[in-house]
This record gives sequence, C-alpha cells and structure tokens, in this order.
Amino acid sequence: MTDEQGTSGAILVVGGGISGLTSALEAAEVGNDVFLVEKNAYFGGRVAQLNQYFPKLCPPSCGLEINFKRVKDNRRIRSYSMTTVKAVSGTPGNYEVTLETAPRYVNANCTACGDCAIACPDEIDNEFNLGMNKSKAAYLPHEMAFPRRYVINKAGLSAAGAAAVKAACKYNAVDLEMQPETKTIKVAAIIWATGWTPYEPTKMDNLKFGQSNAIVTNMMIERMAAPGGPTDGAIVRPGDGKQPESFAFVQCAGSRDENHLEFCSYICCMATFKQMTYIRERYPEAKIYVFYIDLRTPGKYEKFREKLMADKNSTFIKGKVAEIIPEADGGVTVVAENAVTGEKIKQKVDMAVLATGMQPSLAVQGAPVALNMDKSGFIISDPDKGMIAAGCARKAADVVTTNQSSTAAALKAIQVSRRS
Amino acid sequence: MNVQPDLEFIKYLKTAGGDTLKKCYQCATCSVVCPLSTDTKPFPRKEMIWAQWGLKDKLVADPDVFLCHQCGDCTAYCPRGAKPGDVLGAIRAYAYTFYGWPSGLAKLASSAKGLPMLIAIPTVIMLVLWIVSGGMVIPSAADFSTYGYQRFFGHWDFHWLSKNVFVIDVVMLSAAGLAVVAAYIGVTSMWKGMKENAGIKSAFRPTLVQFVTEFLWPSVLEIVQHTRFKECKANLDRVQGHLPLMLSFIGLFIVTAWSATANDVLALIPGLKFLHGPMSVWNPVKILANVSAVAMIVGIGILWSNRSRKEAEAGVTPTFYDWFLIWEIMAVGVTGLLAEIARWAGLAAPGYIIYFIHLVAVMMLFMYMPYTKFAHLVYRTFAMAFERYRESSFGKSL
Repeated sequence: MTDEQGTSGAILVVGGGISGLTSALEAAEVGNDVFLVEKNAYFGGRVAQLNQYFPKLCPPSCGLEINFKRVKDNRRIRSYSMTTVKAVSGTPGNYEVTLETAPRYVNANCTACGDCAIACPDEIDNEFNLGMNKSKAAYLPHEMAFPRRYVINKAGLSAAGAAAVKAACKYNAVDLEMQPETKTIKVAAIIWATGWTPYEPTKMDNLKFGQSNAIVTNMMIERMAAPGGPTDGAIVRPGDGKQPESFAFVQCAGSRDENHLEFCSYICCMATFKQMTYIRERYPEAKIYVFYIDLRTPGKYEKFREKLMADKNSTFIKGKVAEIIPEADGGVTVVAENAVTGEKIKQKVDMAVLATGMQPSLAVQGAPVALNMDKSGFIISDPDKGMIAAGCARKAADVVTTNQSSTAAALKAIQVSRRS
Repeated sequence: MNVQPDLEFIKYLKTAGGDTLKKCYQCATCSVVCPLSTDTKPFPRKEMIWAQWGLKDKLVADPDVFLCHQCGDCTAYCPRGAKPGDVLGAIRAYAYTFYGWPSGLAKLASSAKGLPMLIAIPTVIMLVLWIVSGGMVIPSAADFSTYGYQRFFGHWDFHWLSKNVFVIDVVMLSAAGLAVVAAYIGVTSMWKGMKENAGIKSAFRPTLVQFVTEFLWPSVLEIVQHTRFKECKANLDRVQGHLPLMLSFIGLFIVTAWSATANDVLALIPGLKFLHGPMSVWNPVKILANVSAVAMIVGIGILWSNRSRKEAEAGVTPTFYDWFLIWEIMAVGVTGLLAEIARWAGLAAPGYIIYFIHLVAVMMLFMYMPYTKFAHLVYRTFAMAFERYRESSFGKSL
C-alpha cells in the first residue's frame, strides 16, 4: 500500500465512528486499501460516549474494542486521527484528496503513562463529557481512547503548564512546536461517515436549556450514567448534585419540527426507554414522566417498550412539552397538553431530560466539498461519482441500521474502485 | 366513536385559509404556547383534530374558536406548519356563514364570487334613492359651502325632519336593523349550541340585568382594553392597528348617535335650530369625528400592511374573508375623509360623487356585518360572555 504513488483502488472513509470503522473494515477485509480519517483525537465517535447501546445494551467498549483491534491488525487500513478533508479534486475513480492533520502536540513516543496530566496545572472543559466536568489540558480523551495517546490543548495551557508538561514526560513525547500537516492521497471513492451532532438545545427557546441546571439532554444522561463519566455513573442534578426523585423526558425536543429538525431522529424514543432503565437501576422509586407525540420503537424493540410502560412509577403522557419553567427549588415545571384527556398538565420534576435529536454533522460544520445533500444536510449517495454516504451522515439511525448502511457503502465503494 | 366527517366543511376550510389543517399531527404544542388557552379547556389542539375530522357542529358551537385572537404564537411554534391560528380563523369564517340569516345573503358575503353582487346591492339602492329623492343635483358653490352634504338627497321645508336625514335614516337604519336582527338570530343559535355542547342543563337562567352586568359588560370592558389581545406575542403588532381602529369605531358611534339626536331631535326645539349641521371644525363632536376618521385610516392601514407583510414573508394565505373587511373599512375611512376635504375645498361635483361612494361603503359595512369578519365583534363578545357564564353558578349543571 502506497499512498505516495497513487493507489486509485484505495477508498477514503471520512469519519471514524461506528459507521466509518465498519465501512473501513469491510472494505479492507475484502482487500481494498483504506484511508480512515477522524476529526477527533480518538476513534469511536458518538457510540464511545454512550453508557450502553442497542441492540444488546452493551457498554461501548464491547463493540468498539474488537473493531479497534481489527483496525490495528489490518495492514490495509491507514488511520489518521485529528484529521480532516480539506479539498477533493479529480474524477470518480481517481480522486486526489488533501488531508490536514491538526497538531496533537504529543508524538508517537507517548506510552499513555499519564505523567503529563498529573503534572499539568491547567484545566479545560471536558468536551467528551459535554462540558460537565474539567480535564487537564494534557489529557487522554477518555478511558478507552484509541489511539491510546495523550493530547495537549495548547490554547488551554499556561506557560508554567507547558514547562511542567514537558518536564513530566520521560519519553520526550511532548512537542509543543508541532504544526498542522497536510498530505495528499489518491483514492477511487469516498465514503462519508461523518455522523451526527446532538441538536443544539438552546435553539428551542421555550425549553429553556441553560436557564436551569435541572434541564439536561439525553446525551448528558449517557455521560452521567457511564462509569468513566463526570459523575462516575451517578445520575444527579448538575450544580447541586441532588439525586432526583422525579424525571420528565421531553421527547421530540427539536425533532419532527420544521423550525428545527424536520425529520424524526429515530433513536430518541429508544434512548429514553434505555435511560429509564439507567434511572431504575439507581432510583427504583423515582417518578418518571414521559411526554411524547408518538412512541416509535422500530424493529424488534416493541417488547422493550411494553416492559417499560408497565413500570408502575412511570407515566406516559401523549402531548409534547412546549414550555419549561425553572423553579426556585432548583427543579422545573414542564407544561404540556394531554391530548387524550384534553387537559393541560403542569408537572413539577427534579430533572427534565430533553430527548434531543441528531443533526447531520456536515449540516453544522459544512462539507469540505460539494456533496449531494437533502435540505436537512443528510448526504445522498452518488455511486456514479464515487461519493457514498454511510450511517448517520446518510439518515438518522441506530447502530444496527448504521452498520448495515456502512457495509452497503463499503460494497458500493469497492465497486467504484474495481470499475476504474 | 362514530365519526361522520363533513367533507364539504373540510373543503371549505381549505379554501378559506385553513389549507394547512391536515398537516397537524396533534403534538399539542399550540395549546401550551397559546397565551389565551386555559388549563382546563386548552385550545387549539382539539379544534385542529375536530376540523380534520370535519366535526362542524362541534366547532361552530365551541367558544374557544371565537376566543382565539389569532395571535399567531401557535403558528410560530407549530412544528408542522399546520398554522392553527389560520385554521381557527377559517372556522370562524365558516361559522359566520353558518349562523348567517338570511342564509342567501350570508353565502353571498362568504366568497369573492359574491363581491360584484355585494357592491351592486347597496349601489343600486342608493342610486335609486338618490334619483327618487330628486336630490341628484350638483349644488352651487354657495349652497355647497352652506349646507355641505346636508341636501344630498334634496330638501323640503318640512320642519320636523329634514329630507336628507329621512332618506339616510330609512336606508341606514334598515341596513343596520337587518344586521342587528341577523346577529341576534346568529348569536342566539350559537349560544344554544354552546350550552348543549357544554352539557349545561341548568334549571336557572340569569335575568337580563344579571346577564348584562355579570357576563356581557365585563367582556365588553375586557375587549375595549384589549387585555387578551395584548397577551399575544408573535402578532402583537396587530394590537397597534386594532386598538385605534376599535376606538375609532366607538368614537364614530358616539358622533353618529349625537348627530342623529342633535339633528333629528334637539334641533326641533325652537331656539336650538343651530344644532343643524354642518358643524364647525372646532365643535368637540366634529373634532372627535375627525380624530376618529384619522384613527380609522391609520389603524386599518397598520393592519393592512401587517397582513401584506405576513403574506409576503410568513407565507400566510390571502383570503377574501380577511381582505374584504380591510378594504371595506379603508373605503369607509378614505371616502369619508375625502368628502370632507372636498367640502372644505368647495369641490361640489367630486365631493358629491365621493359622498355617494361613502354612503355605499357605510351601508355595506352595516348590512354585511353579521356575515363577514366584522361579525367577530358580536360573536367573540358573546363567546367571552359565554365563557363567564359557563364558569358561573348558572353554568353548573344540576
């Protein structure tokens, strides 16, 4: 495999989440050369942030670890973290792609011993935990990060911090002079597995996210419930750390709404059911109120729904929460109309969880090249041009569907690579 | 539940600005964001599904349909673009036709197809009267400056009632009388339906005095102060047009009532003959009239531009129901003011023609009141009174 000499049979996979990993592995294991690039400092994407994921409610280490091992063991895959696509030129079957790798400020000598983080006096918002806690400016993105190498946030590092971090490293791995690097590769086809971003909850002004600590998002619940999360697995109210005695789930927070995301985000109903199990494990008696328009349990999940709807401390209300009022005691009151009884409900709870949906990441950050997209920013595959969408870049989906579409994308890309 | 959808009703709503109603998926966001919706009987979510199902009888006797001020907050937050505010407006338009008496006239006033007839009827009546009265003469400049439009329908030397006032009274009081009768029939029928729908089978009925003091007058006060209208958020700018417009109507009502009393009653008393018009510009009543006329034009102008902007920017569907009233009020205001200016300028011929159009416009406003959007002034008032009635001890079923 030679990226320098032009391997038109190669495939570029943009995005190293569950979708990109799957596409890369499927294509490589059939015999194609694959470049796998990931914007973050670690692979695994959104799945890595979850506490458990469907279909089997495994922790993410379960599925990701084996994929990381397959990537490491496969000599046909070249993986680049902190790397983005800058430009694409050429024609289908013969694309020339410019990649840019952002400086990590830690080189390959790193053994992930963690001495730099211990020595580092500076703290930054922990992005992996959605800003719910701090990490050192020299940090490992998360416990099971792959590649297992520290990262330095240079902007968050003071002069003293820089000196301390440098001095702490026994392996001469800290290199604060590192510059962005660009490289050009030649590929036959590009799989866009650029994934999703949780919809910005402050955009729903009536749901008042940010105006009360009691209003959190479903992704924040995932991080709190995760063993390596900001609360080490405790689901508590940010700020005062209160153990909530009541929860309200606000479904379709931004989804199925032409003012926000006009599509159904597919996963939020199931995510809520799943998060109800997290709450039950921790608070067997907590009251849970789920406000919904319709409950969608695609595929084989109907039994899961039935089990949770039978919970005697849980109430399901058909009616979307359209107003949240922060209360003086730190809780909130959610307001909805029960469309079955025709009465307005004002339910006071200790914590309101906004089931925010998935927005295609390229709709937020913009695509590096002109891609065929629908008006929501989902990519429409164009196999003739060798531009193929996979996973949540293609449509809102769960992990199972994502893996299916990623395998399909790999096959399409292989066809393009063999055609040329 | 056995639902018998009234397909014609649904089709009508779709043509009257409610073309989006089928987009509603019953999430109930509207009922929560509506600033006027109550906790026990929130709207407009339930109205949306009734409309989708074609449950006309439930809707025309639903006070909430009339309590809606079309703030547009529901429409702004609606995730589906179903525009509940516009749909409720279309239901009201339907209701005014539904309750309209005589039904032929009500139907005529319900669509643009009837517009030529709507204009022709008062025009012909006025023209015939103008001819028959023998007043169809353009006055000399001197007469015009002395009498203004006081001898539009001619003049006789009968002391007790001037010919002009007589003709105007005959035609305008008939038109207004028809409107009052029609509104009474409509409101009575609506009230009965609302009572049935609310399941009120009270053995006691309020006396007329109780009805007025406890239910009607508080509603009128609320309307005059625009208390509910001011709770709107998305379309709060409509208050800026509606408030001066409503006050101008009240002002002009006072002016008309005073003029009729002064001209037709007080001026008959020897020694008070000077009360015959035209009034001096500095007469307090005339000042009120002129201020009201300007307020009317400004108010309707604001509503006009708001609506044009909403149609251009927010994709609001233009409807005959909304525009007819705007045009009509604008016509009344502009012709009235122009006629006055023509009198000051001594332009008798244009003045008389403008005055003729003014009379036609005023007659249209009176005559079609119960069937057009103007009908909200009675139906909404009584719906607000019903809301109070329902909550009172009279509304409690035994």
